Amino acid sequence: MVSFLLQVITMSSPLLLMAMAGYASERSGVINIGLEGKMLTACFVCAAFAPQFGAIGGVLMAILAGIIISLLHWTLTQIYRIDHIISGMAINLLASGATSFLDGSGFGKGTLSDAQRLPLPFYYGIALVSPVIWYVVANRTRFGLRHKSVGSDPDKARLLGINPQQVRFSALIFTGLFAGLAGSLLVSETSTFTKDMTSGRGYIALAALILGGWRPIPAALSCLLFGLATAVQIQLSGKPLFGLDIPSEIWKMLPYIVTLLALAGLLGRNRTPAGLGKH
Amino acid sequence: MKLKVLVLFVCSIIAIIVSLLIVKANVFQAITTIFTGSLGDARKLSGTIKEMTPLLILGSAVYLALKAGLFNIGAEGQYTIGACFASLAMIAIGGPVGIIVGCVVGVVCGALWALPAGLIKAYRNGHEVITTIMLNAIAWNLTKALVSGPFKGKDQPASSTSVMPATSQLTPLFKIGELEIPQSFVVGLACVLVLAYWLKKTIAGYELKATGANATAAKFAGVKTKQVTIKAMLMSGGLSGLAGALQVAQFEHRFYDGFSTGYGFDALGVALLSSSNPYYLIISSFFFGVLNKGGTALAILGIDKGITTVILAAVILMFAAIRYSKKEVTNG
Amino acid sequence: MSFAVSMQQISKRYGTVQALDNVTFEVEAGTIHALVGENGAGKTTLMKALYGAMIPDSGTTSLNGNPIKFQNSADAINQGIGMVSQHYGIIGELTNFENLVLGSEGAAVLNKSTMSERADRLASSMGFEFNWNTESSTLSPAGGQKLEILKLLWRKSRIMILDEPTAMLSPQDADALYDSLKQLASNGATIIVVTHRITEVFEHCKRVTVLRGGVKVADHEVTNVTPSQLAEEIVGGEVIQRPKPVSLAKNSVRLSIENLSVKGEKGDSAVKHVGLQVKTGQLVGIAGVDGNGQRELFHALIGVAKPTSGMFSFDGNQWDTETSQTRILEGLRVIPEDRHEEGIIEEWSLFENSALGLQRLPAFSNLSKSTREEAPVMAEMFGTKHGGLDNEIGSLSGGNQQRFVAGRALRINPQMILAFQPARGLDLNSTTKVYQEIRRACNDGACAIVVSFDLDELLDFCDRIVVMCHGELSEPRPEEARDRAAIGKLMVGAG
Repeated sequence: MVSFLLQVITMSSPLLLMAMAGYASERSGVINIGLEGKMLTACFVCAAFAPQFGAIGGVLMAILAGIIISLLHWTLTQIYRIDHIISGMAINLLASGATSFLDGSGFGKGTLSDAQRLPLPFYYGIALVSPVIWYVVANRTRFGLRHKSVGSDPDKARLLGINPQQVRFSALIFTGLFAGLAGSLLVSETSTFTKDMTSGRGYIALAALILGGWRPIPAALSCLLFGLATAVQIQLSGKPLFGLDIPSEIWKMLPYIVTLLALAGLLGRNRTPAGLGKH
Repeated sequence: MKLKVLVLFVCSIIAIIVSLLIVKANVFQAITTIFTGSLGDARKLSGTIKEMTPLLILGSAVYLALKAGLFNIGAEGQYTIGACFASLAMIAIGGPVGIIVGCVVGVVCGALWALPAGLIKAYRNGHEVITTIMLNAIAWNLTKALVSGPFKGKDQPASSTSVMPATSQLTPLFKIGELEIPQSFVVGLACVLVLAYWLKKTIAGYELKATGANATAAKFAGVKTKQVTIKAMLMSGGLSGLAGALQVAQFEHRFYDGFSTGYGFDALGVALLSSSNPYYLIISSFFFGVLNKGGTALAILGIDKGITTVILAAVILMFAAIRYSKKEVTNG
Repeated sequence: MSFAVSMQQISKRYGTVQALDNVTFEVEAGTIHALVGENGAGKTTLMKALYGAMIPDSGTTSLNGNPIKFQNSADAINQGIGMVSQHYGIIGELTNFENLVLGSEGAAVLNKSTMSERADRLASSMGFEFNWNTESSTLSPAGGQKLEILKLLWRKSRIMILDEPTAMLSPQDADALYDSLKQLASNGATIIVVTHRITEVFEHCKRVTVLRGGVKVADHEVTNVTPSQLAEEIVGGEVIQRPKPVSLAKNSVRLSIENLSVKGEKGDSAVKHVGLQVKTGQLVGIAGVDGNGQRELFHALIGVAKPTSGMFSFDGNQWDTETSQTRILEGLRVIPEDRHEEGIIEEWSLFENSALGLQRLPAFSNLSKSTREEAPVMAEMFGTKHGGLDNEIGSLSGGNQQRFVAGRALRINPQMILAFQPARGLDLNSTTKVYQEIRRACNDGACAIVVSFDLDELLDFCDRIVVMCHGELSEPRPEEARDRAAIGKLMVGAG
């Protein structure tokens, strides 16, 4: 039972971190389809730099990379005013192409030793605590309030002297920070970088955020739900269910199906921040 | 506005060059290899056209959805599902009849695979980007399971259907020396032309464009926007499924795990680059074909194909920047 | 004496339009000062300059004798200037508390208990009451207005600009608002009210400044001027004699609405058991303060909102069960409230826009041909100024877009005309022309329902006026059918 719970935490943690990354961006009005690419970049950078810079150095570099890519997304959407979805998809393409290009050319190869990875519980701790921190920030701080206002109605916020672009700049730095942590976590779990290793986690995290109505705690609960689904899949994989031999792919589809059903049966009202995608 | 676009252009060029330098590649050689590898001789040109063919149809599919205001990221999954089930029909029935039936199967399956996304968008306002991405993942896993199990060909070692007998395959339309023009290429061109006509001249096309441009105004104009959304996804999915079926009939002659190499995602780029005019789909498919084919030639130089994806991303952003900077001017 | 606000020779040009031309505007401290003028006279533009939301091309501004130069709204706010805009600045998704303090939080971490205390104190000082933790989307327009005032007080604004503050209020709520404003003025605040409602000026304000076409035309103590003088200054010269509407209405009913109820955005019942019969040739005006169900009724008649009960038919066709498309085929034509959101597609050319709403009519079966033929006629009807029908309609000014939309609605065989604020963005002459065209269509047998928040406009052009108040429809007694006071009472629910 304990090992199962541990597995749920393991499966949920990257999602939790990415959902927080997504919250930072989307609640401020910047649609973020590019979570996948940001995470992937962080994975690669951590794997590439940890051998030389050590465990902490690797993570810091991953965070820096996450922030840079995040700010690229900010520049494209806020300065160039490119459609947020196009920007996000382009960043995913960019990350996928660049990381496999560099990986295929010899960078970031090899496995990380224990000394080059931070202990996993460190990440799990941050993952579990960050939704609570975000909740407090959102409801009890000036930054959190302005962050929400800019995502709900940037024009009205502007009339009050708030600069939406500036707030979003700070917000996307946090997105990069969390993406950096999530990517480092993923690479530390497997000890090596492989092409497109994020396998859709960025999208699932976004789905969790949407399910949670763009609120930190409900989004975190959705992440745990998805983590649970994946853990169940691993537990039952290869084992016959009701005497039938079920291929592992059917179990792998479970999280995606759950997400789809959840989006289809979305109960309650539409809580999309009214300013999502607005300048 | 122009300055910003120029900055983006320069940054992209620098990024690409720097990436190549990091891996100690000869930049000039790399760029020219992309072109010689795709256009160097008749055989290579045929290869480029081969890459271009599915993109014509998939590009049309995604373009249609785009005009309806939908991002059909699911073209990839619809293509895969269409190919998988079409291959069965083609192998089972055989001959030209089999191909036609297979194409129909491909269209139907592709459309059905897009339907959930269309329904969720129309009735729940659930963003189609997420739902189609989920459907892609499900398609990938499902077809893998099917083709390793019940659909597996008897004589095949790995996860694959049997191979279509030679008599059932689609032959090239014509062959001049080494230059091959596939039949499905002509279908692809036809798709683009029919789409362009449909969008411009028909009332249904008008209503689809209106829904994509301003759904509220469309509603006030009596357009049944929910229906338009669902139909658009069905049509987009159907076209994607057709692309899959034709890919099996013309080039692959079987379906196997790993069938799709990302054409569905390329199609998004193809459609985005053509956003103002459907006829541009022909040009952008060609461009992507060049990058794909030329990219494989890079492997000989020890350069990973990924660089072509980076170039793709840069081009998409360039075009998007130009288009949105124009919008700024008119809105003042 | 130094004025609380002194703006000298302010000018601003937007492209070819001189929005403000050497305007001088002076306001005494502790008074309520009215700034009046028609749509487009420059009132909002001038206030934007004062609020730092717009930087003028030339001119100076001083507060209490000290010259200031605002770079942005934050500067203005810091100097004690607060503005309540027409479509007020309450963000629905945030709570009342959050809306109150947003932008002036006071510290990086919000001390909710002390802040709530202060909020309660401010509220009770004005006689208001708020549940701070509920979402602001639940506020009524009057409630929103009150919260806006509290926002100004929270920021310790000494100079308050209110842009059309009573636009969405019933006469009762409007009076209550002015009572609060008088209280604030007596405490030394300087209040500038931008309005086009002359009655308010005479009932509540000390001084009035008139703008017309970007120019300051007059500046009076309210006691030194009469309403008709003021009206003339606002409109300038002779007002076009609007002919008394002549109704050729026949006795046959075309549109019949029975017991219709429609839900509003907040799930409340916005339209309550409304019944109305419109005869052939009748031009009916629906009067009322904005927010009393007119919009929801309009939407239900068009087909973009579904009624919860009741029914309505046109020429015997059960419209409430038919799609918008079918209604259009049976003669429905619409001039929508918000052309930008509901009427046009900005990126499309005028040609392409000409078919919008009419695309299923037989007249448009050959899309390319018909748009080429009809667009020029539609543009011509009310004199739409454009640089070529191939241009994007988004490049046209708002007024010209409205002219085109009106032309489009009235061009092809209108039978049931629904217009919501058709005069929006139009000058007096264009307004008259649009109504005349609607009248012409009615004389040919069509019928029309026009919703307007300007009672005088309706009195000038409609043969019959009904009133919507709190979702219910009422009609003045026959002998009071054109009695402004009687209709006004119905608007408040006091009739």
